[in-house]
Amino acid sequence: MLPIESFSIYIMFCVLVPLAGAFTLLFLFVFEKRIDLLEKQKREIALERELQTALYNQLNQEIQPHFFFNTLNSILALARLDRKTELLRSIETLSKLLKFKYRTINNFISIEEELTYVNYYLEIQKIRFRDRLHYEIHLDSHVNKAIIIPFLIQTLVENAFKHAFERHIGEALLKIKILKIESAIQVTVWNNSLESHESSPRDGGVGLENIKKRLELLFPDDETSVQLTDQEDGTAVLAIFPHIMSEKLEGESTQ
Amino acid sequence: MKKTDFQYYIGGAFQLGIGFGVVSLLSRWVTGNTILSSPETLIKYGLTGGIGYSLMGALALILFGILAKKIRDRFHDQQTIGDVLRERLTPRGYWFMITILLVISIHSIFVQAMGAGILLHMIFPLPVFSGMVFFLLFCFFIGGAGGMQRIHQLAGINVVLIFSAVIIIPVYFYIQEGVYPVYEGIKLYHPYILYVKNTEAVLFIFTAILIGFGQVIIDRATWQRVFIIKTEKLRITFTLAGLIWATIPLALSSLIMIIIFGRSYDSIYSLLFELIGKINSTLLIVLFVLFCFSALSSAICAELHAIVTLIIKNIVGMLRPLSNKEKWRFTYLLSGAICLTLLIIVSMLPPSPIELLFFFGNIYASMIVPMLYIILGSKTLPSLIPLASIIGTAGGFAALPIMENLLAIWISFCLSGLICLGHFIYNLLRTKLTVKV
Repeated sequence: MLPIESFSIYIMFCVLVPLAGAFTLLFLFVFEKRIDLLEKQKREIALERELQTALYNQLNQEIQPHFFFNTLNSILALARLDRKTELLRSIETLSKLLKFKYRTINNFISIEEELTYVNYYLEIQKIRFRDRLHYEIHLDSHVNKAIIIPFLIQTLVENAFKHAFERHIGEALLKIKILKIESAIQVTVWNNSLESHESSPRDGGVGLENIKKRLELLFPDDETSVQLTDQEDGTAVLAIFPHIMSEKLEGESTQ
Repeated sequence: MKKTDFQYYIGGAFQLGIGFGVVSLLSRWVTGNTILSSPETLIKYGLTGGIGYSLMGALALILFGILAKKIRDRFHDQQTIGDVLRERLTPRGYWFMITILLVISIHSIFVQAMGAGILLHMIFPLPVFSGMVFFLLFCFFIGGAGGMQRIHQLAGINVVLIFSAVIIIPVYFYIQEGVYPVYEGIKLYHPYILYVKNTEAVLFIFTAILIGFGQVIIDRATWQRVFIIKTEKLRITFTLAGLIWATIPLALSSLIMIIIFGRSYDSIYSLLFELIGKINSTLLIVLFVLFCFSALSSAICAELHAIVTLIIKNIVGMLRPLSNKEKWRFTYLLSGAICLTLLIIVSMLPPSPIELLFFFGNIYASMIVPMLYIILGSKTLPSLIPLASIIGTAGGFAALPIMENLLAIWISFCLSGLICLGHFIYNLLRTKLTVKV
């Protein structure tokens, strides 16, 4: 039989516990928005910091003398051969590529925008590699407006050039595949080189790590992954992140 | 989204955060059952039973919170439990499940309406009919015709009223009278309540957790809320809702002790309403009446809204395509018809409550494993899975003459679980053999 002391404690508990429940609810109403805001700010700061790192990596990788001089030499060759239309197109593409790179300040862009940028880059590389380079882009029709972190595909494509095509002679095959599978987007960048991961230096590793971190920051509650895999006919990098339409995220950020 | 769009009726035009999510779940789950079953458990199983009842609700909501995240991730384009069932089951299995859901929905709303009938009968010296007309009209305008938006506009007020009552009334009483006379009174009239080494209560607690989880996992209204709470906040919302909900039965059990400490009782179910005779202050009486009214009306509104959505979107909508205008017309007609039927039944039947907690316990328990299989499985499931719940229920009811109620509920749970497990193993072996061949 319960003694009076325990009974008193039980009654006290019964009376105080709803009070605690009501206070919790009150606390949630008063502070939830503030906590959300703080969390959002914290994530945005981290995202911006990682974006800066990505930008730095990009500049480091791409505006390196050999890329720039090779591109300029290719453009010069076009001028010497008097191929005016191609010359104008390549200068314009180079200008757009640099403009995009310096103007990207958002933490996310649409896949469509990212692919435009990748296309500029591939056009320039086409001038350099000529008939050696063949590339294919396969895009799921539903994912055009879905969001992606800037430079994700670009970094993977640049890694393919840096660690595969520029090191080995012969045909350079590149395939970019963007698919929506259930509620996730899968980006695969495949190249026909078999040695890219073995010789993958620090830069490539840093690039992939940066993508991983930025994906985790932009989609904190969803599963994301970046994997480099060896295949029989080449090397592929697979990035997975949730499918979110850009209007939805913009709508949320303006609320 | 336009207000005239039927989607607006189903889910409103918002995504709920933790605060509003918890309020929405509380206004759904503080129901007539909570008010009427708390005394039942306290009287039957003593203080351990009172704590066990709170534990049941808390655990049920917390466990469902874990599932809710998975549900949202896997079925993010859906809006109701029916939509998910349609995606995961064969047509025959879908109709099986919808029939069970419809039966449970009708029973559930009927129990709430009976509770309201008893409340009105005890509080007002009017015939039940006239009180119920006003009560059901209110529910019709809020839950039936108003939709999710209107339900949420009132959810805040409901929760404020509920907490005000369960905090202020016990504090007022125990400060005025003290704990000692209550303890002495209970020791004299109902000493079994103070007996804590109650082994039967342990079985009750575990069975109650099973029933509670079964109730939540097939609750149409809760599923609708899963799809309107922000994804990243689902788990924490359900966990907090569970913990906060658990405080209410505890407070109600302290209220019951105020009523019974000086006398014996005639009916367990009407006990809490006799509190009105115990409270001297008019303000507190009004608060208590509003509390009961809030709990019952918010639960009926949520149920009514869920049944109407189920019938229009997942039954009539599946049989023939409906235009937006037709859906709205059906909404008003159906809500009106359900309210009218409830009015007739409650007015005709004598205001005596039915056994609440364990009445559909077998069904709830037998639904758990099939629902888990539906939520967590990866392929379209055959009709055997919904059928497993019916077999489980039937097995439980068949076991009733030879064993007690609580054990029969476990029989239902195990039977349906075994069928699902058998199907899972059979499928696994078949896939492996096919791959080898």
